[in-house]
Amino acid sequence: MDWLAEPFSHAFMQRAAVAGILAAVTTALVGTWVVIRGLTFMGDALAHGVLPGIALAVLWGFDPTLGAAASAILMVLGINVVHRHSRLNEDAGIGLLFVGMLALGVVIISRTPSYTGSLTGILFGDALAVTTRDIVLLAATLTAVTVTTAVFYRSFLVLSFNTDKAEMLGLHPRAAHVVMLALITLAVVASFRTVGSLLVFGLLVAPPATASLLVRRVPAMMAAGAVLGVASVVVGLLVSWYADTAASATIAAVAVAAFFVVLLFRPVSARR
Amino acid sequence: MTDAVVARGVELTYGDRVALAASDFRFPAGAITALIGPNGSGKSTVLAAVAGLHEPAAGELTVLGSTPRKERPRIAFVPQSTKVNDLLPVTVREVVAMGRYASLGMLGRFGPDDRAALDEALDRLDLQPLAARHLRELSGGQRQRVFVAQGLVQSHDMLLLDEPTTGLDIVSTEVIRQVVQSERADGCAVVITTHDFAEARAADHVVLLANRVVAEGAPEEVFTPENLADAYGLELNSSHEHVDVDDPAHRPTQTLHRHVEIPPLDD
Repeated sequence: MDWLAEPFSHAFMQRAAVAGILAAVTTALVGTWVVIRGLTFMGDALAHGVLPGIALAVLWGFDPTLGAAASAILMVLGINVVHRHSRLNEDAGIGLLFVGMLALGVVIISRTPSYTGSLTGILFGDALAVTTRDIVLLAATLTAVTVTTAVFYRSFLVLSFNTDKAEMLGLHPRAAHVVMLALITLAVVASFRTVGSLLVFGLLVAPPATASLLVRRVPAMMAAGAVLGVASVVVGLLVSWYADTAASATIAAVAVAAFFVVLLFRPVSARR
Repeated sequence: MTDAVVARGVELTYGDRVALAASDFRFPAGAITALIGPNGSGKSTVLAAVAGLHEPAAGELTVLGSTPRKERPRIAFVPQSTKVNDLLPVTVREVVAMGRYASLGMLGRFGPDDRAALDEALDRLDLQPLAARHLRELSGGQRQRVFVAQGLVQSHDMLLLDEPTTGLDIVSTEVIRQVVQSERADGCAVVITTHDFAEARAADHVVLLANRVVAEGAPEEVFTPENLADAYGLELNSSHEHVDVDDPAHRPTQTLHRHVEIPPLDD
């Protein structure tokens, strides 16, 4: 079993594993609602929408996490403005902001001296360059997401069932929707340093989607999604170590590959 | 008979589009009221307004003696089955249990009273054998019974059902009709939207809509040739055959006026 333990004897791999595991559990809790409510396009857009803020942080030298959070908030507000002041569906607003923010981010980054390196780092992350501060941020985010998910569980569940029903039962669906978007934003912002803004989307969607093929209840979907996400992180880091591939991209690729493996080979009892 | 709902000059709109022109209507307490009319005539919008989900653009709407929003905890609302996410990974028991959240809120503990109410609702809709099944494993009729049970499990003085029997099999339709009658017997005000003349005829009070109140009152007062012609643009022929006017199979393609047979009022 040395082949399993040896890579994780290095401090940077240990940090990468801890950060990846925290990110995987966080994104599984949030991603379950993303998959259930059909918010994957919104999740994708948010994962890309953080780019301008991070780019400005790189250019002006402030905390990229703050930049990412500001960008995400701006994006959600922009989507609401488009939806409310036009006859377009919400997904058209998401698409507009998605492309616009991504383009703006690339334009800003193109003004930096190390254009290619900065862009690669933001989009694909660097799991092997995780700091203790990143781990603390991820741990705090996981705690906040866990507590909020527990408190809002009934609101999120009935909101996912039917908005009018949630309103009738006094579960404040509009507030619950805003809280859900805030949780997606928090998960994306906290995780982008580990797996990158592009590939955080892989962890947000792939493990919960895989879990939905195997289990039949929401809490079980969260738990299975977390286990699958953690497994993707560990397997991805190992593959990356021995195949000398980019760690973050490998983690996301393993998570997506797991979905198709389960889709093909899941037990007959789970296919109903 | 006192009134559970009283509307005076109530106008319901979606932006520039008028779903219900300024209208007066009433739904009696302890009785079944049927809202009937063509597609887009404002039935579901009126139901949403009574539930406090759609604010009137004008007029005064009184529900259970107060405003709809204030009385929401006393109103059980069963949405149209087509507007429900039936891919949600939840069991029948979990879906029905959601109705108890009205009294439990976001964090209240599910206690013995809640479990008893849940079992009673499952029994009334013949759902106990299906309680552990997943929502997406059920037929359309079974799913609709689950949604009605979700409404019943909530403590309520008024039950609102949006097209509860549309497209259902005979068994599920009959189970739901029995529950509606039982609710009425218990003194609950029941309001249903429907396209089915037979279902509306079985109600105590009918409101015929065509983006305004064409007529309201007892079924025999409402279902006159003149009122139906006004609401649907129909030529009428009384017979025992039941016809759903929104069923494309019953729509002639070459005539301006649809020819519809409605069930007699006295059998």
